[in-house]
Amino acid sequence: MGPNGGGKSTLVRLLNGLLVPDSGEVAVAGHDPVTEPFEVRKRTGVLFQNPENGLVAPFVEDDVAFGLENLGVPREEMRRRVAEAIRSVGLSGYERREPHTLSGGEKQRVALAGLLAVEPEVLLLDEPTSMLDAPGRREVLRRIGGLRRSKTVLHVTHHLEELLEADRVLVINGGRLVAEVEPGRLMADAALLEENRLVPPTVPRLAADLGLGSCRTPEDLAGAVLRRVWEGSGAEIR
Amino acid sequence: MRISLEDVWHVYSPGTAFETVALRGVSLSVEPGEVLGIVGGTGSGKSTLAAHLNLLLRPTSGRVLVDGRDALALRKSELRRRVGLVFQFPEQALFAPSVEEDVAFAPRQMGLGPEAVEERTAAALGVLGIAHLARRPTRALSGGEQRRAAIAGTLAMRPQVLVLDEPTAGLDPFSRRELLGVVRRLREEGTSVVLVSHDLDEVAEVSDRLCVMEGGAVRAEGTPEEVFYGELALAPTTVRVAARVRESAPGLGRPVSYDETLRSLRALIGG
Amino acid sequence: MAPGAGRGTGQFYPADSPLHALDPRAKILAVAALVVGLFLVDSVAGFLAVGAALLCLVQVSRVPPSTFLRLLRPVAVIVAFTALFQVAFVREGEVVFGLWVFQAHSEGLRLAAHLALRILLLVAAAALLTATTPPLSLSDGIEDLLSPLKRFRFPAHEIAMMMTIALRFIPTLHEEARKIIMAQAARGADFTEGGLIQRVRALVPVLVPLTVGAFRRADELAEAMESRGYRGGEGRTRYRELSFRGRDATALCIAVLIPVGGILL
Repeated sequence: MGPNGGGKSTLVRLLNGLLVPDSGEVAVAGHDPVTEPFEVRKRTGVLFQNPENGLVAPFVEDDVAFGLENLGVPREEMRRRVAEAIRSVGLSGYERREPHTLSGGEKQRVALAGLLAVEPEVLLLDEPTSMLDAPGRREVLRRIGGLRRSKTVLHVTHHLEELLEADRVLVINGGRLVAEVEPGRLMADAALLEENRLVPPTVPRLAADLGLGSCRTPEDLAGAVLRRVWEGSGAEIR
Repeated sequence: MRISLEDVWHVYSPGTAFETVALRGVSLSVEPGEVLGIVGGTGSGKSTLAAHLNLLLRPTSGRVLVDGRDALALRKSELRRRVGLVFQFPEQALFAPSVEEDVAFAPRQMGLGPEAVEERTAAALGVLGIAHLARRPTRALSGGEQRRAAIAGTLAMRPQVLVLDEPTAGLDPFSRRELLGVVRRLREEGTSVVLVSHDLDEVAEVSDRLCVMEGGAVRAEGTPEEVFYGELALAPTTVRVAARVRESAPGLGRPVSYDETLRSLRALIGG
Repeated sequence: MAPGAGRGTGQFYPADSPLHALDPRAKILAVAALVVGLFLVDSVAGFLAVGAALLCLVQVSRVPPSTFLRLLRPVAVIVAFTALFQVAFVREGEVVFGLWVFQAHSEGLRLAAHLALRILLLVAAAALLTATTPPLSLSDGIEDLLSPLKRFRFPAHEIAMMMTIALRFIPTLHEEARKIIMAQAARGADFTEGGLIQRVRALVPVLVPLTVGAFRRADELAEAMESRGYRGGEGRTRYRELSFRGRDATALCIAVLIPVGGILL
């Protein structure tokens, strides 16, 4: 996480050789993305911000196959993996659709299927939901969430609520790593949020402003408010 | 000025295999000086509706009235000047080398003299909070700054009604908050704003009145309080919290915006 | 949903016909044979024979004649213009009729008829190809036919890839142009008034952002392609399979016979 222009996208591009570091070294699964880009790209998939500009082929299934074609996968296996990847993002039946007829969320899921077909170990997500409407965003997050524990996921986002389940959060600002925290701690650290132009989601923000500890859902927060009211009035907790 | 739509229908590509009915008999009005939030999902017809407010799209049937007169009777250029329409991702249409030149485009098209153009450009940049970027190349701005430059480009026409279609789409939450501040400032200065959005939390913050679109028709209309507390499935996070608390503490009232909600909850806890 | 969503790209007319089922390579070669043949045909009767054969093929393709005629419309102007040009400037043979300073000679009329029919039939053959072949198969077919030239460093794969990308982005750019035109119209741009120069100037606010946008898309697309392991045609496999069967060979033979018939007439 971090403000725009802070270096998040640059970091993603250094990780798979789209950019070359001026100094220092990058290693992905033991390979240097500069000298062995192909080895690194076989093992990593990048989901970009704007799915519109990442889809190559005029039909969904051909686009999902693109990465496999590049790897030289035989046709029979390609067919199996393309069908499987399209199913895994919930787009069965969309094989012959043209990308420009899809919604933003659907395009982003096609892009995700294209990555999953290659079976990468690492997924690099560069603000994949920022151009999407609420339902599209939910659907993409659900598919990404389903990959947890089976893949390493690096998720760049502006939306703190998308990171509530993360193991670690890195805050990047001004080209530097300024913090490494647990999501819960970040949410409660008003100064750190403010310095890095981060806006906490409504529920944790209300909870913090009311001095009520950490809450995730509106129901959690309402419960916490009511408990406080009853404590204050000395009434019994129903 | 007051814009009203009377039983407006809009059909795309009528009579072909691609015929799509986008609006199904929409009637609503934009009152002088208010912020009207239009919410609805993808395909609900809200963008099509927005483009009818200055007749960039014409109704297939039904009427659009401006201060009680049929808008078709007004000159096209006059109508477009009085009702400023900012589309989704408006920064895609920036074309001049510098911010101020781009913002000056619309007032120049209106045929104003150089002084008036300059004055309006400066004023619009001021409202959007980007006066310091006037001489910068448009391509050198951040996404949020480009968005504001594009909105300034429409505001420079001094419209009486400004229609913003998904003005915060694709922006980071901090830039979103800044843009909502711009909407509040415009209302203070007496400009009506029509805010088209799928984001309930953001509409809840600034709207005086709401119109909920679904399947090309108006599903609900009223103050945010009436609409949200009338149908919790449509409600933003603040209202969902408050409604849950009200089940056990009915004295809470019906707050909508973040600040109202915080204030009421504080009062409840405190006393 | 955007208006026109779900519509096929370009001139392809989806239908279930024997022509649609043919291997794109057979169809491309057939059109090539027709083109060469048409340059050898030298009589109006010959042209009409080829035209009749093409009409039969249109029938077989199940493309409605009205749709097919629409595909030909854009070239009608060119055909008419070239024909007029021939009639006006060729001064051989007898004068057939005269009108003020204008005289039509027999040779001019003959050339005009030949040229008009030739262009019309060429375009009709090409239109039949694009109407019955999905664009992606077309680019696959072209890559395959050109692949022997790879030995001479001819960029067959790159050309096919460019075609694929163009097919993918034409609708996107079309939609973007529409949006930008609307946005500038909302700011008072007027594309319908004034003389030619004013109208061209009015297009600047559309063309500049459209071009800038296209370059931005190209950058992002290049990044996405690279990050997905693209490194040119080397070592690449293909998802789509082309299979040249007996019926394709038969169809090709028939296609070669059509202009031969025309030449003999």
